[in-house]
Amino acid sequence: MKVNSISNQNFKGSFGEKTVGFITKHPALLATLAGSSVIAQKVVMSASEATIGPAMDIGIGKTITKITDEKDGRTKQSSKVQAVRTFSQAVGGTIVGVVIRGLCIAAATALCMKAGEKAGEKLGDKFSDKFAGIVNKGLNENSSKYKKISNASAWGKNIGGAVALLVMLVTNFVIDAPFINFINKNATKFVKNIGAKVKKPQNSDNAKEVK
Amino acid sequence: MAADMQKTGKGVWELLRKCSPNPKDAGNTLLCLNAIGMLFAAASNTTATAIDKNTRPEDKKFLIPAGVATGVANIGIYFLMTRKLIKYLEKSAANYVDNMGDKLADKATDFAKRAINKAEKGIFKKPKLAVAMKKAFFENGNLSDSITETAKEAYKDNVKAAASVAGAFAGAVIGCSILTPIIRDVSAYFVQKRMEKNNPDLKNEPHKPYYDPSRVGTGLYNRKQFPSMTSYMAFANKNLNGRMKV
Repeated sequence: MKVNSISNQNFKGSFGEKTVGFITKHPALLATLAGSSVIAQKVVMSASEATIGPAMDIGIGKTITKITDEKDGRTKQSSKVQAVRTFSQAVGGTIVGVVIRGLCIAAATALCMKAGEKAGEKLGDKFSDKFAGIVNKGLNENSSKYKKISNASAWGKNIGGAVALLVMLVTNFVIDAPFINFINKNATKFVKNIGAKVKKPQNSDNAKEVK
Repeated sequence: MAADMQKTGKGVWELLRKCSPNPKDAGNTLLCLNAIGMLFAAASNTTATAIDKNTRPEDKKFLIPAGVATGVANIGIYFLMTRKLIKYLEKSAANYVDNMGDKLADKATDFAKRAINKAEKGIFKKPKLAVAMKKAFFENGNLSDSITETAKEAYKDNVKAAASVAGAFAGAVIGCSILTPIIRDVSAYFVQKRMEKNNPDLKNEPHKPYYDPSRVGTGLYNRKQFPSMTSYMAFANKNLNGRMKV
């Protein structure tokens, strides 16, 4: 008994306990996190990538230059160009990624809801038992219905997220690539204006080939 | 041999089950989808190098393993680190909820009312879900009546899901904003130096983004057009490192 209380006390002060405590104190945060889909993950990930990523690139460039005692500073310069590129990639990738994920999830959720209604209880039970690991046996009718609806919604979210990955294998080349290039071009100009030393390309072969 | 295969099969099935949309495993689902996305991106770009006719075969011998190694290191560390974090937070959540005692009913009631209100009046209205929740969470479907065991279970599931999603988000932020730049930039430095050693002409090139071996574009040296795919060609040729991200 004593051992249990000591371990509980220790646990209460742990990082995990504090984090969970913070989340439960804010019901809006709890609901948002619990209902998050890949869209939220993409936004969180890209926002951090757009802000921390470029700083990391520049920092690593400087460190490598210092450690290797590189005289021409190519790595340092490359890291600045890479920093702009990282930013553009995060911004462009997020806009396209969120739209495509949103569309796929909306479509998949609608289909799952309809499929659930049409197929009736048998399919719902099968999905729940086999995949979701939720056993509906022993639940009353009301609880079972709630679980089925919430499961259909969760299925939609995750199937949509998975389908979006496949769709984006194509859209990455068709939409993302030119869009990111456009952002990158403008971001580089902006960086130049505020004084970052990004060297101008020495030839314009690239531009000609793109046309 | 057969036992090993069975074990592997069970492992794969377990992983697939983990990726399945169980509300209790929300964090793992996000982690798996993100890792698969990263895998697709790294694999696509490395494949692009392998099939690119403009990259010299002797360079491919180095670029392809370098691309695979960088991709595996990046995705592997991200996956293992995030998985640990999610497990830890899920355990913390389970312990926290178990120790809530009398507060659990109050918290679950608040949460249930909030969820029903959101389903009824939120931006994305879900009237059927709202009705189902009312009946499942409150005795006789009346908000002023006492709460059911299903509501308490749902609250516990949501706390666990929220904790695991927080873990997945933290892992994604650390993985993509700190881990990826380190692995990418450091490996890129060595790849770039080796490329410059083998191709002295590259030293005269203007400064480009890092040459990332796991996100390789086509036509690094010989900027000929990639046949038939205009956008891909534009993307890869213009930037010399067709980084693709899913």
